[in-house]
Amino acid sequence: MSSPELVTVTVDGREIQVPKGQGMIETALEAGIEIPVFCYEPRLGAPVGACRMCLCEVAGMPKLQAACTMTAQDGLVLSTAQTSAKASEGQNAVLEFILLNHPLDCPDCDKGGECPLQDLTFRWGPGATRMRFEKRTFDKPIPVSPLIALDRERCILCYRCTRFSETVAEDGQLVAINRGAGSVIATFEDEPYRAHFSGNVLELCPVGALTSTTYRFRARPWEIQNVPTVCGLCPVGCNTWATTREGKVARILSRNHAEVDEGWLCDKGRFAYGHLKADDRISVPRRRVRRRGFEPVSWEQALDEAERGLKEAGGPVVVVFSGGETVETATAIARLVKEGLGGGSALLPDTFHPALDRFRAPISAIRDADVCLVFGDEPVVERAPVLDLWLRAARRGGAEVITLNSAGSAALQPGSAAWAAAQLQAESPAEELRDAKRSLDKAGRVAIVWSEDDPTGGAHALALAESLGDKASVYLIPRTPNGRGVAAAWGDPGTVPEGEIGALIVSGDEAAGNPDVRDLAERARFVITTAMFESEGTLWSHLVLPGTSYLERDGTTVNLEGRPQRQRRAVAPPAEDELAFFAGVARRFGVEVDPWPTMLPDDHAALSEVEEPDAAVAAPKAAAPKRGQGLALVRYRSLFSGPAVERVQQLQFQRPADEVELSYEDASARGIAAGSTVTVSSNGMSRSLRARVNRRLRKGVVRIPSEHAEGLHDRVEVKAG
Amino acid sequence: MAPSDGALTKLLFADADGRDLTRLSEYEEVGGYKSLRKALKMKRSKALDELLAADVRGRGGAGFPMGRKASFLPKPKESAKPIYLVANADESEPGTFKDREIMARIPHMFIEGVVIASRVIGANTAFIYIRGEYLTEFEILRDALEEALNAGLVGPNVLGTGWDLTVVVHRGAGAYICGEETALLESLEGKRGQPRSKPPFPAISGVYASPTLINNVETLATVPKILEIGGAEYAKLGVEHSTGTRVFSLSGNVANGGNYEVELGTSLRELVYDIGGGIPGGRELKAIIPGGSSVPVLTADEVDTALDFDSMAARGTMLGSGAVIVMDDRCCMVQLGLRVAQFYMHESCGKCTPCREGTRWMVSILRKIEDGEASQGELDLLLNVCDRILGNCLCPLGDAAAMPVASYVAKFRDEYQRHIDEGGCPFHGDSTLDHVMAPVDQYHARIRAEIEVPA
Repeated sequence: MSSPELVTVTVDGREIQVPKGQGMIETALEAGIEIPVFCYEPRLGAPVGACRMCLCEVAGMPKLQAACTMTAQDGLVLSTAQTSAKASEGQNAVLEFILLNHPLDCPDCDKGGECPLQDLTFRWGPGATRMRFEKRTFDKPIPVSPLIALDRERCILCYRCTRFSETVAEDGQLVAINRGAGSVIATFEDEPYRAHFSGNVLELCPVGALTSTTYRFRARPWEIQNVPTVCGLCPVGCNTWATTREGKVARILSRNHAEVDEGWLCDKGRFAYGHLKADDRISVPRRRVRRRGFEPVSWEQALDEAERGLKEAGGPVVVVFSGGETVETATAIARLVKEGLGGGSALLPDTFHPALDRFRAPISAIRDADVCLVFGDEPVVERAPVLDLWLRAARRGGAEVITLNSAGSAALQPGSAAWAAAQLQAESPAEELRDAKRSLDKAGRVAIVWSEDDPTGGAHALALAESLGDKASVYLIPRTPNGRGVAAAWGDPGTVPEGEIGALIVSGDEAAGNPDVRDLAERARFVITTAMFESEGTLWSHLVLPGTSYLERDGTTVNLEGRPQRQRRAVAPPAEDELAFFAGVARRFGVEVDPWPTMLPDDHAALSEVEEPDAAVAAPKAAAPKRGQGLALVRYRSLFSGPAVERVQQLQFQRPADEVELSYEDASARGIAAGSTVTVSSNGMSRSLRARVNRRLRKGVVRIPSEHAEGLHDRVEVKAG
Repeated sequence: MAPSDGALTKLLFADADGRDLTRLSEYEEVGGYKSLRKALKMKRSKALDELLAADVRGRGGAGFPMGRKASFLPKPKESAKPIYLVANADESEPGTFKDREIMARIPHMFIEGVVIASRVIGANTAFIYIRGEYLTEFEILRDALEEALNAGLVGPNVLGTGWDLTVVVHRGAGAYICGEETALLESLEGKRGQPRSKPPFPAISGVYASPTLINNVETLATVPKILEIGGAEYAKLGVEHSTGTRVFSLSGNVANGGNYEVELGTSLRELVYDIGGGIPGGRELKAIIPGGSSVPVLTADEVDTALDFDSMAARGTMLGSGAVIVMDDRCCMVQLGLRVAQFYMHESCGKCTPCREGTRWMVSILRKIEDGEASQGELDLLLNVCDRILGNCLCPLGDAAAMPVASYVAKFRDEYQRHIDEGGCPFHGDSTLDHVMAPVDQYHARIRAEIEVPA
C-alpha cells in the first residue's frame, strides 16, 4: 500500500503535516491541542456534528464549523476556542445550551468525578446560569433493561447510544423518539434492551444519563481502584478494567485493545462479575469423610490429604481441564503429573492444529478482509461475541461475509463445515457453494472464522487457507477462554485409559460440571476437584479445593489469536489460588514449581512471530453429513449460560428463551404458528418449547440452545401443541 | 412572450385559467410535454446549457442556481452509483402555499419538469417527497402521474427512447424539518428525519449515498418553460441574478390573499397594493415578512423594495420561499415573535444542541415578555440567545428561528420595550395576528377538537 499523501494544516498557529483526510479532532490532538467533544466518537462511524461542542473557526468560512466533521486538507487553517474569540464564544454558547436543562445533581450522580460534561464545564463553561425558568423534567429513572437505567433529564442527546445500537451492535433497539426539546432516548416499542452488547452504551454516555443497575449509587470515583486485566469468559480475551472498591469488584469497563476488542465488551464480560459473590461459593478446602460427608480442612491438611491420596491411588492419572485455568496453573498441574506422578493423560476442552500460527492475524484484521468465511453451526456471537462485532464492521465496510451454517447466507446441513471447506478447495464445488467460491477467487484478503468444536484443531480451515495462497487468515474459535494456553501447557493429551483409574484431577467448574467426568470419577480411586461453586462434581470428589475467578488471580491467558495476555488479581480470592495449591502439591512430590507467575506478558504486546512457519497442513477427508429421519437438531451454547451467568441475578433476562427455531417451511408444513407451544421429541424423550420461525433457517433443521435441548438426540420430530 | 395580466406575468400558470390542466389531454392541448420531446432529442449537456443560461435560482428558499447544482453531479457514465432526482414537495414554511397550487392545478407541468430534469442528469429513478398533509394534492399528482405513465411519458422506455424513469411519490409524515434537503433524504430512506452534516452534499452523496439532484416543485415546474422558450429568452424575464417569474403566496392582513405569479423584480408595493388590494379595514401597513416565517421582517417604510434576491439581501432579508406575509398596525410584534419561535421549537428536530435548547429558551423568554413579566435584562438576553443560535447549528432551522425574532426586536424595539415598561401587551389582546400564520397551539386546539368528537 502506498503511504497516504501528507498535507499541511495549521491549528491555532501550529503548522503540522498529517495524512490527507485525517479527522481534525485527531489532527488538533497531534498538534497538542484538545478540541472538546461530546457526540464525536470515531468508533461509531461517520461523525454527525450534533452536539456542536467542537465549533472552530476556519479561515475562509463565514460560519463556525464543527471540527469533528472536517478532515485535513492542504492549507486548512483552523482556530480553536483557545485562539479564536469567535470560536470561544460559539463553544461557550453550546455549553450554555447543553447545561440549560441539565440537572445540577452532580453530587449524587454516578458519573460525577469521571464525567466529560463536568470536566468540560469546569474548563470551558459558564460559571453561572442565565436560565431563570423551570428545567425540563421527565420521569426517571427509566429502566432500559434490568441492567441499564436511563435518566432523561441528564441526557444531552449526543446520540452516541443510539448510534452504537444502530451502527455497531446493529441491534436497532435504542432509538430517539419525539423531537426538538422533547426528544428522548427510548427502546424500540419500550421493550427491554436485550442484546449481547447493551452495556457499551454505559461507557459511551458522556453524562450520567445511562447508568448500570449493578454500579448505580455504589461507589465514587475517588474511592475506587481500576485494575487493568483481561476478561476470562470467552476466547476473545477483551482487555478490561476491573473497578474495585473496598476489595470487591464493583464494575468492569473496557480497556481498548485496538487489535482485539476496539474498546467493546459483551454483556457477559461486563456484568457477570457478580458471580464472585455467589452464595454457593466454595471458600475453604474440604475432604470426604466416609458416611459423614465432607469436613472442612486447613490449607496444610488439604496439601497432606492430596499428597496421601495421590500416593495411595497411584496411576494411571487423568486430568480434566476446564480451559479457563491460567497457563501457569495448567503448567503446574502438568509438571506435577508428568514429573511428580510419573505421567498421565488429559481431557482437553479444545484441540489446536500446530499450523494455526502460520495463518495468524490480529482479530482486527477481519475488518480489512474482502471476504469473511464463517464456518460452523454455533453462532459466532454466542461463542466469541466481540469477534462478531468485527465481522459486522467488515460487512459495513463493504466486505462480503459468507456464513456457512444451517441459517447462513449459504444455508447448509448441520455438520457440513469440514465438507464445505473441502468443497471450496475443489475446482467446481457443490452448487450451494459456487457463489462463495467465486467470491473467494476474486478476494484480496480472506478471513476464515471457524465457530464450532473442531477435533482436528482447525485442519479443514487451514487446508482451505493454504489453498488460497497467503491471502487468508484463520480464526479458530475454541470453546473455552484459555483452551489454547492450557493445551500448549499440557502438550500431547495422550489417551484416557479404559478401566480403573488411579487419581483424577478435575480442574475448574466447567470440568466439574461435565457429564463425561462422572464416568471417570466412578472409575477413579481418588478424585481432587478445584471449583468455585457447588455442583454434582464436587459431591463425588475426595478432596475439594476452592477455585478462583479470573478476577482473583494473576496469570497468563492465551486468546483465540494465540496472543498471550496478562490477567491481574483485582480482588483477593477466599483462599489461596489453584496455582499455589498445585505448586504446593508438586513440591511434596519433589517438583519445584513457583507458586506465583514469574514471566507475565506485557500489556498490549503485539502478536509474536510465528513459531513454526513450516508446519504442514493435511486435513482429513470430510464427507457431507448423511440425511436422516426427522429434523436435524442444531444445539448451540448461548453466551448467557454457564456457571458465572447462572449466578448473576441481573443477567437472568439475557438467558436463552426456551424456544425452538424452525424454518418457515417446516413450521407451515406442521401447522405451527410462531410463538405457539410445540413438542420436540426424539427416542421417547420430549420437551415442550415455544416455536420461533426463522426464515433464514434451512428446511429440515431446528435450532435449540443447549440448555433447553438436554436429552434430545441429533434427530428430532416437532409437532404443534 | 409570456402573457401579462396587469402586474401579473404568467408563465407557469399562463394557460391554467379556465382550463383543467390536471388532465393530460388539456395539458397537451396547450403544448404540454412538447418540452420533454424536445429534451429527449437534445444532448444532455445541451439541455443543461439551457438551464445554465436561464440562470434560474431555486424556488425552495435558499435560491441556489439550479443549473449549477445539476452540473455538480457526476456524469452518468462516470458514476459508480445510480443517479437520483428528488423533488422537494414538502412545502411547510409558514405562509407558503405556492407548491400546493402548482401540484393542484398544473401537476403535469411539474411532472414534465421532473422527467426532463431526470433526463438531464441521467437518473432512472425520481422521488417526489410530498408533504403528508397535502392529501388532495397527492391524489391529483398520483392521478396525473398515472395518466403520464399510461401515455408512456414516464415509466419504462419513455416515449420510445429506451430510457426508463420510475417516479415514486412518497408522502411525508408531518415534520417541517423534512423540507431541509438532507433530512428529507434521511426520511425518504426510512430513517428519522434529521439533517445530515454537509459536506458531502447530495450532488455527491444523497439518497442511498448516491448522487442526487434535489429541487423544489416550482423550480422543476419551471424547467419545461425554460426549454420551451429557451434559456436565454427566459433569462430576459426578471432582473439580473433573479431571472424569470415567481409564484408569491400573499397572506396576512391583505385584502386579496392568494398565489400570484409575477416577474422577479416587481416591487412589494405592487404585490401588496396593486395585486393584493392593500390593507383591509382602512388599517395602516406595519410590517411585511417577504419570504416566509424564517426571514427577517421589513417595515412599512421598506415596502418599495423589489422582490428579487439582491434587493432583499440589501435590506438584510431574503426572498426565501416566496411567502409574503402582511401585517397591519394592530399586530403585536412580540406575539409574532412568540408565534414564530413556538413554531420552530415545535419543529426543531432535536439533533443539534443550539436549536433544540435555544428555541425552547426563546419561547420561554418571549412568553414572559408578552405576559409583561420580563425584566429589562431579559430583552437583551433574548437577543443574545438568538445570537448564540445563529450560525452555530447543524442546519438552517435554528437560524430560521433566531434571525426573524432578532429582526423583530431590532426593528420594533420600542414595542418590545413597551411590553416591559407597561408590564403587559399594549394591544391588550386586540392584536390582529389571527390572520397571520396559524399558531402552533391553535392548530393543536383544532386537532384536539376534531379528535375529541363530543358525544
